[in-house]
Formats: sequence, C-alpha cells, structure tokens
Amino acid sequence: MSRRIAVPVFPGTNSEDETVRLLRDCGGDARLVHWSQAETLGGYDAYVLSGGFAYEDRIRAGAIAAHDRIMDFVIEGAERGKLVFGICNGAQIVLEAGLVPGTGPIRRPTAAFTDNAPAAHFVCRHVYLKLTIEPSRCAITASLPSSALIPAWAAHGEGRLAASDEHLREIVDGGHMAFVYAHADGVADERAVPNGSALGCAGLVNRAGNVLAIMPHPERDAWNFNHLDRRTGSNALAPSGGAVLFESFVRAVERA
Amino acid sequence: MIQRVVAIGLKIPDNEAYTALVTLQRLGVAVERLERCEIWQLDDTGDGSSIGGRIEANEAIFNPNKHRLRPLEQATPRAGEVWIDRIGEDADVRIAGVAHARRYVGWRLFGADDAPVHRDVVVAAVERLLCNPAIEKALY
Repeated sequence: MSRRIAVPVFPGTNSEDETVRLLRDCGGDARLVHWSQAETLGGYDAYVLSGGFAYEDRIRAGAIAAHDRIMDFVIEGAERGKLVFGICNGAQIVLEAGLVPGTGPIRRPTAAFTDNAPAAHFVCRHVYLKLTIEPSRCAITASLPSSALIPAWAAHGEGRLAASDEHLREIVDGGHMAFVYAHADGVADERAVPNGSALGCAGLVNRAGNVLAIMPHPERDAWNFNHLDRRTGSNALAPSGGAVLFESFVRAVERA
Repeated sequence: MIQRVVAIGLKIPDNEAYTALVTLQRLGVAVERLERCEIWQLDDTGDGSSIGGRIEANEAIFNPNKHRLRPLEQATPRAGEVWIDRIGEDADVRIAGVAHARRYVGWRLFGADDAPVHRDVVVAAVERLLCNPAIEKALY
C-alpha cells in the first residue's frame, strides 16, 4: 500500500495546490489536510508544509502556525522519524517550531528566516539550490547526486537565515546546512544569494536527517511548461527541473 | 536633542493581538487581555508641543482612520509590558525634526482582574511566543 503524504493547510497557506500536484506527479499519494481536519494528521506517513502566509505571518512569519494543533502532530511525527519537508513559509514554520536546525528545545527557536537584507523587500528571483551535504545525510535528499543543483524560485520577504554566532557555528559544525544558493554553473558566491542569508544558506536539515526546510520554491520550476525557457510540446506536463527534489522525497517516503 | 517616546496603537480591533492572546492561552499562559502597539523612541530636535502632529504627518507609520497616538511618560516598559526589539533593524522613517528613530513592538498583558500581569507571566509569554531570541531582544 502506498504511503500517505499530508500537505497541511493553515489559514493563509497559498502554495498547497502546486505542492500536492507535484508530489502526485512524482508518484506520491499526497492529500490536502485543512486546519479543521488536524486530528487526522496522525494517520499520515510524511508531511510537506507548503508556502504562503500562515496566520498572516502575525507576530513573526511562522510563529503562530508553529503552535497550531497541526504542528502538534507534525512535531510528534518528526520525533518518531517521519519525514517533514518545509518550503518557504513551511520552512519558517519548521524553524519557529524548533525542528530545524534542532539545536534547541522544541518550539524554542535558535534561528529564523527573517527580513531580507540589505533591503527588507519582497524578492522574486530565479535561483539554484546547491546541495552541500552528503546526499545520504538527509533522507529527503538521499536520491540526489552529490552537489545537486536544483532550480527554484525565491519568492519571499523574509528568507534570510539569522542566528547568533554561536548558533551559526552549531549549524555549520553539526552539518545542518543542507543547501546554499548558487549560480547555474554551480558556483556559490554572494551574488547568488537573493536575500542576505547568513552563510548563503537556502536550506537546513535537522540532526536526524528527517526534517528539511528550504526557502525557495522548486515546485514553481518543476514541469516542462513552467521553466524559464518554457519548453512546450507533447511533454509540457512532464515533471522536470525542481521536481527532482520532490522525486527524492517521495522515494524516501516509500523507503521509510 | 530630547528623547521622546510615543505609542501608536490601533483604535480598530487588533486581530494580531487577538491571535496572540488565543495562542498564549492555548500555551497555558495566564493572560486575559493583550494590548499591542508600536513604540517609537525618537531623538527629537523639534518642539515638544508639535511632536504629535509631526508623527501623524508620516503616513507610513500613522493612519488616522485606524491609529491612536499616545505620548509615554517613561522610556521603559510599564508593568505587565515587554518591548520587542528586532536586532539590527534600522527604522528608516522620516519625521520632521527627528534625527533618529527606534521602533519596538510593545505587548502589555492583563490578568483576570484586568490588572497588568506579574513579570513571570510576561517572561513566559516572551519565551513561548512573543520573542525569537535569534532575531529579537525582549526589554522588560
């Protein structure tokens, strides 16, 4: 029997549809679970927290959602080894919940994806995520090649990783930095970073390797028809590009 | 140069404060009412009697249809209150006569008798929800 993936929907989530579609196109059995159905979440095998503005980003991006009933189930699942994948606002929620980098207690965050810098403006820019850990370090990236480059769209006003120097050292030393921003040729430098993120970080993984949080959206560059060069034709609806990360996630769910 | 402190709060229902209140109560923090405002600490070279008008002239921080401005007597949080300071935030705001401005988010918590809560309750609210120490500082 196929293992089931939940895409929880908070009030204000807005990227759930393309997230579910891509998971399904990659072979996953994915379903939306709205906040009023939170009690059903315990029956799912994995969770993908999609983008948006959960609870209008009240107090801080992800802060209210991190304490929502939905997250009681997601946190419990993560602690039991279930896979959790947060994208954009989902990544902010996962950080506020303390699941990544996971160097402090649950729901006591040690880092944040916060206001972009130098200008605290919304950024919408095509980017590449470069895998900086051994693929097997994180179950969700385990099927990717080393140093994989994944096309995606950065679309956020609060995507800059920020933490104290001590916690940034923990992130580096503990192998929590899963992805950095890079150019199409794989070079990772300051110009590739759209938001001033510390260490050029685009994604974090927890110690156990079952929770991954990334700021850019691979699901917005994930079918032939919606790449920058807009390839069309008979295979316009075939997954490609950013879909590789979702394919790797679905394989990990089936393996788990 | 004189330092002035003002609070800009909502005179319409504050949905963000309500959401925070419900979340804190869910977390077991003993709070019955919550007030939120923006605290502006201003290094002012202008006349004190005109500061209200000068702030209200800046439409980026004051909308007369929904905001209420109140001068504060002291430059520190009151009983039951915490000011949240976003680390490294540069308040880029232009107010006539103001050389420099610093912005905080003020949260004031009230208990069952509608009196400001004890400091322990404020600390619990800060640690559990109101402040992410990676990017914010709490001033009591």
